[in-house]
Amino acid sequence: MGLQSNSVPTANSAPTNPVAAKPMVSAQNVAKTVHTYEGALTILQDISLDVAAGESLAIVGASGSGKSTLLGILAGLDLPTSGSVFLNGHHLTDLDEEGRAKVRAENVGFIFQSFQLLPGLTALENVLLPLELHGVSNARAAAAEFLGRVGLAQRLHHYPQQLSGGEQQRVAIARAFASSPRVLFADEPTGNLDSATGARIIELLFDLNRELGTTLVLITHEERLAMRCQRRIELNAGRIANSTVQT
Amino acid sequence: MLALRLLWRNWRSGEVKLLAGALLLAVAVVSGIAIFTDRLQRTLVQESNVLLGADRVVRGSHPHNPEWEQAAKEAGLSQTTAVHFASMVYAGEHMHLASVKAVGEGYPVRGQLETSLVPFAIDPQQITIADGIPAPGEAWVDSRLLPLLNLQLGDRVAVGEYELTVTRVLIREPDSSNPFSFMGARLLMNQADLPLTEVVQPGSRVQYQWLYAGRPADVEAFSAWLEPQLNPHQRLVDVGKNQQNLGRALATSQRFLLLAAVIGVLLASVALALSARQFANRHVDQVALLKSLGASSGRVRRLYFTQLFVLAVLASLAGLLVGEIMQRIVEEALWRSYQIRLGSGTVYPYLISLGSGLICLLFFALPALWFLPYVPPMKILRRELTVGRIQIGVQVALAFFAILLLVLMFSQNLKLAASVIGALVAVLLTTALLALGLLRLSRSLAGSAGSVWRLAVANLQRRREQTLMQIVVFSVAIMLLLTLTIVRTSLLDDWQAQLPDDAPNHFLVNIPQHEVDDIQQLIDERHYQRQPLYPMVRGRLTHINGVELSATKVAREGVFNREANLTWTADLADDNKVVDGNWWPQWQSRHGLPGVSVEVEMAREADLKPGDRLTFSLGGLAMEAEIASLRSLDWRSMRPNFFFIFEPGALDQFSPTYITSLHLPPSDKAFINDLLQRFPTVLVIELDRIFEQIRTIVTNVSDGVQLVLLLTLAAGCLVLLAAVTSSIDSRKQEVGLLRALGSPRRLMLGSVWLEFSLLGLLSGLIAVLGAEILLASLQHWVLETPIKPHYWLWLTGPLLSALLIGGLGVVSCRPAVNTPPAVVLREAG
Ligand SMILES: Nc1ncnc2c1ncn2[C@@H]1O[C@H](COP(=O)(O)OP(=O)(O)OP(=O)(O)O)[C@@H](O)[C@H]1O
Ligand SMILES: [Mg+2]
Repeated sequence: MGLQSNSVPTANSAPTNPVAAKPMVSAQNVAKTVHTYEGALTILQDISLDVAAGESLAIVGASGSGKSTLLGILAGLDLPTSGSVFLNGHHLTDLDEEGRAKVRAENVGFIFQSFQLLPGLTALENVLLPLELHGVSNARAAAAEFLGRVGLAQRLHHYPQQLSGGEQQRVAIARAFASSPRVLFADEPTGNLDSATGARIIELLFDLNRELGTTLVLITHEERLAMRCQRRIELNAGRIANSTVQT
Repeated sequence: MLALRLLWRNWRSGEVKLLAGALLLAVAVVSGIAIFTDRLQRTLVQESNVLLGADRVVRGSHPHNPEWEQAAKEAGLSQTTAVHFASMVYAGEHMHLASVKAVGEGYPVRGQLETSLVPFAIDPQQITIADGIPAPGEAWVDSRLLPLLNLQLGDRVAVGEYELTVTRVLIREPDSSNPFSFMGARLLMNQADLPLTEVVQPGSRVQYQWLYAGRPADVEAFSAWLEPQLNPHQRLVDVGKNQQNLGRALATSQRFLLLAAVIGVLLASVALALSARQFANRHVDQVALLKSLGASSGRVRRLYFTQLFVLAVLASLAGLLVGEIMQRIVEEALWRSYQIRLGSGTVYPYLISLGSGLICLLFFALPALWFLPYVPPMKILRRELTVGRIQIGVQVALAFFAILLLVLMFSQNLKLAASVIGALVAVLLTTALLALGLLRLSRSLAGSAGSVWRLAVANLQRRREQTLMQIVVFSVAIMLLLTLTIVRTSLLDDWQAQLPDDAPNHFLVNIPQHEVDDIQQLIDERHYQRQPLYPMVRGRLTHINGVELSATKVAREGVFNREANLTWTADLADDNKVVDGNWWPQWQSRHGLPGVSVEVEMAREADLKPGDRLTFSLGGLAMEAEIASLRSLDWRSMRPNFFFIFEPGALDQFSPTYITSLHLPPSDKAFINDLLQRFPTVLVIELDRIFEQIRTIVTNVSDGVQLVLLLTLAAGCLVLLAAVTSSIDSRKQEVGLLRALGSPRRLMLGSVWLEFSLLGLLSGLIAVLGAEILLASLQHWVLETPIKPHYWLWLTGPLLSALLIGGLGVVSCRPAVNTPPAVVLREAG
């Protein structure tokens, strides 16, 4: 797949949304401050962004720049200290934890750097977990089908320890897509993989994204992965240093 | 249901097995012990009821109220009557003052009459169990009545105005009356013949007995209803009043069993708490994941608590099953070795077991898991995020509360509960202090030691918090195990001491003055050891300080109401102790009266004190005496014991008979026959039967105790295992890393072994300290035996625990050391 990188630098003020009118994920003036022994620590500041439905966004930046924190806030795992966050029209910052859980259940999928497969569960059962949690009927068939799609049809009943890192990440992808989320959040999905395996995982991710119309928000250190996204923002010390639309 | 599926998967991956195992063990220990004790108690009560011939007997100088019979029938009880009196019986020119018992159909309602056609039969082949009572016109008699009256079986004997045919010899009978009160040989006859004898006339001294038996609850209820209706001349007798020895053996053994149950439960609880902690730690990730997938806190709570609940129910039921099987095994063993059938129990122990399982779960497992629903979903992105757990202080407080609850539930004994809590607190405090000090010390020692040693100590230092917790757990477990083992041993010793093999096991009573020398000679001839000979005069207490006894409130109480055996002696027996007043010759009468020493508990009952005047009636003659002293005595000793002992000379004008005791080995039982044939007036009381019974009980109980000990040992090992695995969990990665860096296997295993042995040694020391505290308070408050330290414990305790824990550490770490480092690292990551 070829890449056309027509990077267009924009001002670091309010970002525009070139794809759709109603954003799938939206943050307005988000800031995050935590209190530590050394006093208040501002991790995020003045963050505003919109991600349209079906769009893919890469968040890049140095280690400790606040990427994971931002991802957590956008996904409704955590609350910002100030500012508002919307996910598929739900005002996350107005909801309580129960309400956010409900929004997550209906809209969100995750992939993490350290795979987060449950070691006691087989590949199939790991994929089954969100489906069962949401009470999907025919969960087994759906899970098996998704595992087939990521090329693990023969490994349904293997435990994570019996799978390689790439295979484990493919299970994680299958799990993330199995519940057909509107948005998929991924924190360094290829961080632990060698580049060949990483490349295959990237392909898989974008295939599914295209096929299912899933919105993608992912953190990465890998240029290869960042380039595949339609847009990228770069964090620097908790602020958006750069926002780039790529086509 | 998702929770069930999760539970199944957790089970499969082994994460809840330890949790379930701990709970199962807790319930199994409790139920095994509780069911067994319950049944054993019932059985023992029934066994002793066999001696009584019934569960309860109403005794009195008047017949029982016939209306009660209907009530007893409605209550589902079996019943019968007996009339008991002393009467001259005649055969030709011979006569004897016999102890006659005229019994009704169905006598006895508990136990059996053993009879024979051979006088003085010993051979079981010759003894048969009667399936009824003597037919009208027949009499069954003690063997010794035959030589006394020069009779043969088939001859006739006259009781009052009626002649009976002697058809059988009575070898054994259950009997509720005091063996010392009727000295005559027994003659058992049918109550239908009683009117024909014309012996029982208005005013004649007759004891009427109404015996009943049934299911324990029915008997209790009926007795409660009956008691208020008794008239002043009637008494309700049960075994408790009759069988002091059995009662005591029973009480001690039960206390021990309950103690064992408590300790078993505590051990299992510690295992439960540890495994719950481990479970919680392993599940933080799973919860964070579930939350990120959109499960709310409420949903997570439901999911986990449902799992826990289902697991608890299943484990408890399995525990109950294991407990049931265990007590059946003991039951089978009892049957095989002693032909003792346990009676059926009640549901109470089953409920108690489930209840204690629930308490364990609520107070030991739940606090450790409580925080799980509150794991923030952000944890999925930031692993280092800390989770607000229930404070360890709160958890400990909850655990202590639960321990108090459990101990109280089992023992209803606040002192026991306090002892256990006290010992636990002591262990916690000492651990904190000692462990810190010793760790510091070992560190400075390690400075000059080899690399294995350095690595081990460094490990202990680095994981200080975990190390301290492990020391607490190890020492508590070892302390409880040591305590139990020692209590068991000292309990058995105590019992053995109570029944020495050469203790006198027969009483020879009613020896006339002129036969004393001959009998002593006979005893010497057979090389039996002579025991002290006591003179004995029968008398009745009539006045206290000049007030007639029948006018006082004590008139109805047992000992005051019947003839007592009075004796005199110059020397106090060694198990008697003067607790008030003086022993002669130091004693001086205030009233110029002869002195008498009174048993202290009886004195308390009647509010007697030294200086009080007592009037006795001896064979119609009155004599007055002054209380010189109050004595305590050991009812457990198998010697003749007397409520009243006079100073020498005081009873000279009354012609005494003598009583002595004798130790007869079982093989020499025939000696009794020789003796009785030569001296038929002598009454032999066979204590060996009671001894045998006590011994059987002791053996049974100690067998049960053995099993309980094994079980608790299993619980203890489970605790140790839980503690070791939880620490192995966290060190797998480290081991993998060190191996990857090229540390030799020997060094790794060596340092693990040393580390755990060191832990074991420390814990062993603290455990011994705690055990001594616990033992001292148990001995003082619960078992009521003298406190004594156990010096050898200080050596063996720490050594054994070092060996055990060192071994466990190596065994559970070995897989981590042996598997290739890459695999270990991947699993741990
Ligand atoms: N709850 C918190 N308490 C204290 N510090 C925090 C907290 N959350 C985040 N931080 C700090 O905020 C900074 C940003 O963290 P974050 O995990 O978002 O960085 P990141 O960009 O994802 O880095 P990396 O690329 O290494 O994953 C870090 O310095 C982190 O230590
Ligand atoms: Mg990060």
